[in-house]
Amino acid sequence: MNPIYRKFQASVTQQLFALNQALTSCRVAPSIQHPVWCTASVNERHYRSMPTHGIGRWRHLLPRNAPKKKKEKHQMKGIFSATATSYGTLNVKVSGHDMTVVERYSQYIHNLCIRLGINVAEHYALPTKSTEVMLMQEQGTKMYVDAVLKTHERVVQLSTLNATLCPIFMDVLLKNQPEGVELSVKEHTEADFQARFKTRPELEGLISQIYQ
Amino acid sequence: MAAPCGRMASRPLFRFLSRFSGICVGHTGIRHFSRASVSRTTAKSETEGERGGSPWTLMAAVCLQRLPVISADYNPMEQRFKDMLHQIELEKSVLSDHELRLLEEAERMSRKQAGDYDSDKEDDVDQEILLAQDMEDTWEQKLKSFQPAPRVRADVDKDLSSPERCLADSLVLLTEQQVGGEKMWLLPQTQWQEGETLRQTAERALASLPAGFKVTFLGNAPCGVYKYKLPKAIRTESCVGTKVFFFKAILTDSPPPKPEKALFLWLKKNELEKYLKPAYMLKVGNFILDL
Repeated sequence: MNPIYRKFQASVTQQLFALNQALTSCRVAPSIQHPVWCTASVNERHYRSMPTHGIGRWRHLLPRNAPKKKKEKHQMKGIFSATATSYGTLNVKVSGHDMTVVERYSQYIHNLCIRLGINVAEHYALPTKSTEVMLMQEQGTKMYVDAVLKTHERVVQLSTLNATLCPIFMDVLLKNQPEGVELSVKEHTEADFQARFKTRPELEGLISQIYQ
Repeated sequence: MAAPCGRMASRPLFRFLSRFSGICVGHTGIRHFSRASVSRTTAKSETEGERGGSPWTLMAAVCLQRLPVISADYNPMEQRFKDMLHQIELEKSVLSDHELRLLEEAERMSRKQAGDYDSDKEDDVDQEILLAQDMEDTWEQKLKSFQPAPRVRADVDKDLSSPERCLADSLVLLTEQQVGGEKMWLLPQTQWQEGETLRQTAERALASLPAGFKVTFLGNAPCGVYKYKLPKAIRTESCVGTKVFFFKAILTDSPPPKPEKALFLWLKKNELEKYLKPAYMLKVGNFILDL
């Protein structure tokens, strides 16, 4: 073993020595020809046989991405339908007047689903609705604005729900429901999805004109 | 596994829509639920020949729960943490519109009473007739006249048969039933009959109780099972024992309380141990959540 090792070492040291000599000779040359060697040698691309060929390449290290698509229309995620052992796409809607409580409860539901292994398709908010509470004045017939109540809604969309898991899930949700918060579980339909978008009256007018 | 479970898997599921609401001011006791709609697909009855003779009698039971109506009290550490968070939020917060208005009007009042007051030099010409301070006073008056219902009522808590006891905990219904010559406290159960799903059996078990409870079932799948083998003396070839499947349900509306003797018990989970047999309690305690 040892002689081989020593020979290997010897050969390595010989190579290093040779390289050193080559390097020193190389180093001398650029300094004579180009006193400021930074700018010039960076722009020179080394020849293919040179060990440092392709030293500055970096684009091959980036992940391959498809070219950037144009802004896409909001596609609806597929709606699952109920099978014999699981429910389809369900919307768990949480609504109430206190925004912090409603948001925290919807976050709790989302985290519970992750923990139980239920797939959460989406978690979005519906626009807030303001309700004005008007009271009759004590002396007089005019109504005056007593309070403005805002109703906040958050929806957690589950793609599927196992039938065996459903009673446990619902039980936990109901037992942890805070005061002042309403919980509703419904099936998701395409109409629900479309209701989130704003209508564009001019576009609809133009389309109706085309088809007239 | 016994035939009915396989049967349930092959049947299409019920569409399940329910709406549950939190507590509103002025309600006593029970949380209100409203059902949007329930559409059921009709149950197919299986042919007789498929089910082989199983030596177990099947029963379905209902775990009827009354959900907590108010949130539980904080324990001392939670209370301290809550106060601390409240303090932090208060110190970090910015004045609201109402508070700014109060300050402006207080300043204006002090300027009016200063002596060298010239109303023409006021920048804001629009002065409210109803000052913010007056509004606050009226609100405080209204608050004083509001009496909230007491959270804990000691006398109702002790009455084990009332569904309005212990509003901060969830309660389970127990009935006294005759099982094989012995009277014992159980979750309400009946025997399964041919041609119906286990859930229908559970609904029948509830309907057979004298009190008319309005109930929402949480799902079509059972949440627990209890197997009871008959003692060797009574065991025959066709009847080795019973299997009881439990279904979870929520009380939506309680009927007016009848003055007759208590047939039901509404118990918290830690009180259940005193009334149930140990083996039964072991299985039942698995699926009753003590939240």
